[in-house]
Amino acid sequence: MLRKEVNDLLTQTSAGTPMGEMFRHYWIPALLARELPEDDCPPVRVKLLGERLIAFRDSKGRYGLMDEFCAHRGVSLWFGRNEEGGLRCPYHGWKYDVTGQCIEVPSEPEESGFCQKIKLKGYPLVKIGDVLWTHMGEAESRPPEPTWEFATVPAEQTYTSKRWQESNWLQALEGGIDSSHVSWLHSGSLKSDPLFKGAKGNKYNQADKKPVFEVVESDGGLSIGARRMAEKGHYYWRITPWVMPSFTMVPPRGDHPVHGHFWIPIDEENCWAWSFDYHPTRALTAEERQAMIDGYGVHNQYVPGTFRPRQNKDNDYLMDREAQKRGETYSGVWGIAMQDASLQESMGPIVDRTKENLVSTDNGIIMARHRLRKACVALRDKGVEPPGRVPEHQQVRSAARVLPPDQPFEEAMKDDLRVRPGVKQTSV
Amino acid sequence: MLGTPRPTLLSSCAMAATAAEARFRVPYPNSRGRASRIFALDQGAAEAMYRITEKPWHGAHFLTVAPGAEGLDPEATEADAVPLTMPDGAPAKLSGEVAGADVVVLLSATGGNAGAAEVIAREAWKRHTMIAALALAGGREGRAVDRVVNALRPLATVLVVARDDDFIPAMLTALRA
Repeated sequence: MLRKEVNDLLTQTSAGTPMGEMFRHYWIPALLARELPEDDCPPVRVKLLGERLIAFRDSKGRYGLMDEFCAHRGVSLWFGRNEEGGLRCPYHGWKYDVTGQCIEVPSEPEESGFCQKIKLKGYPLVKIGDVLWTHMGEAESRPPEPTWEFATVPAEQTYTSKRWQESNWLQALEGGIDSSHVSWLHSGSLKSDPLFKGAKGNKYNQADKKPVFEVVESDGGLSIGARRMAEKGHYYWRITPWVMPSFTMVPPRGDHPVHGHFWIPIDEENCWAWSFDYHPTRALTAEERQAMIDGYGVHNQYVPGTFRPRQNKDNDYLMDREAQKRGETYSGVWGIAMQDASLQESMGPIVDRTKENLVSTDNGIIMARHRLRKACVALRDKGVEPPGRVPEHQQVRSAARVLPPDQPFEEAMKDDLRVRPGVKQTSV
Repeated sequence: MLGTPRPTLLSSCAMAATAAEARFRVPYPNSRGRASRIFALDQGAAEAMYRITEKPWHGAHFLTVAPGAEGLDPEATEADAVPLTMPDGAPAKLSGEVAGADVVVLLSATGGNAGAAEVIAREAWKRHTMIAALALAGGREGRAVDRVVNALRPLATVLVVARDDDFIPAMLTALRA
């Protein structure tokens, strides 16, 4: 249960709200780099943290992210002509550079300098890995650029996708933290998904449906350990890192690529579910990459030409009760990503957490909310920068390992849970 | 793999998932009060716990393992031989406290009174009651925390290592204690 005022605090992310301000202290993923594939390509509309923005890549390869609407008459610059070093409104020819600075107002004498007085709100947009990242806060609070491992390994080792999720960001994040649902909701996929199946650890998952949890605070967020029985009294541990505010990683399986997510607010009732897969030490195989493109693993299929999942609430997620009866899926919904999204969207755009009945196995979620609330209040009231902004906090990995019963995972797996360049993930 | 897409329908699920439909959700309570029993296993835990016992809780009982429990042999100790006190200093019986409890929460700052903790856990297991353990790690060095964690691990279904004591009220509120 969460009091209404705390639920409001954590779920409202527009400008001027405490959580909105906190998100504006981080670099967040804004677009896939392939959405702006070449210089002077078409601009892209993107909504983030309740702000409607336009992204474009100018003639010199510079990226820009700014207010979507022309300062003159409010026309959407999605209709703009991206040419000769700027984005020109087609209505009256006003032109903007990648910072949002107006550089041409054709109706006014050039010598008047009028255009210098016009500037759209603009944010930096930098390409790191497959992703274009932005920082929507003040320049003086800008953290170092992101150093997440998935975004910094060579291109052939990584793949990123995003999908529109029709729920508040916190519902999606909490799904990423909640390890206990895997043995239920995703049990069918563990047997069949090409990016999950075949790992030895899967059999521990399937045999022990009552994992024991350990939740440990880390500098950047949490390490959430799920412990299941393995052979000879040993424990099979799966560790999920959460780095504030919304980065989670799924513990690996065998030598499959490692995957994880960012959950980024679009507005209060929608979010971007970013999903990545990478292997720390080898290129993804053609089969693996194709499986990701085809929507397996943590990825999904799309309504063509959009980032809306093909299975969505307008078609009941293509619920297949027959596949459910055959044991192919547990919930009747195909694919791990949409199994999660379908249930999280079914809660409503912003779930009423005053009505929930949490149990002690939900302590990862309880602790994550607690830390988010504290960080949010500390930033609002005392100007304390929140955790998760610095490279040290971002150098995390998920891990899976079998340990003797007397070894605390946080000590025994200390190295496994940190990025070690050139060393593969610890997995079972 | 997916089958052929079916026609788009305004299904009940889709309707219920809109903000406009949220106001039609039934307003009736969906749970009854829980009985939570919170045990502070040592002095540090008791001090943290007593800072919050005055809050308006919903039937939670706060208990402290009293002095005299050190070195207690769990194998040789009956449930009601564990010395427990209520916040007002009155003694309490473990069997009566755990009977009917929905959740048992163990709080530990030092890993002390491991024998008493085991008896409490045994009593909870006997009644199939969920046990959550909270290791209070604030200001303690790693080895001391390991000691607490190792003491609590065999007993609990969920173990949380918290850096700050303010997680205690956050967790108990979330669990409707």
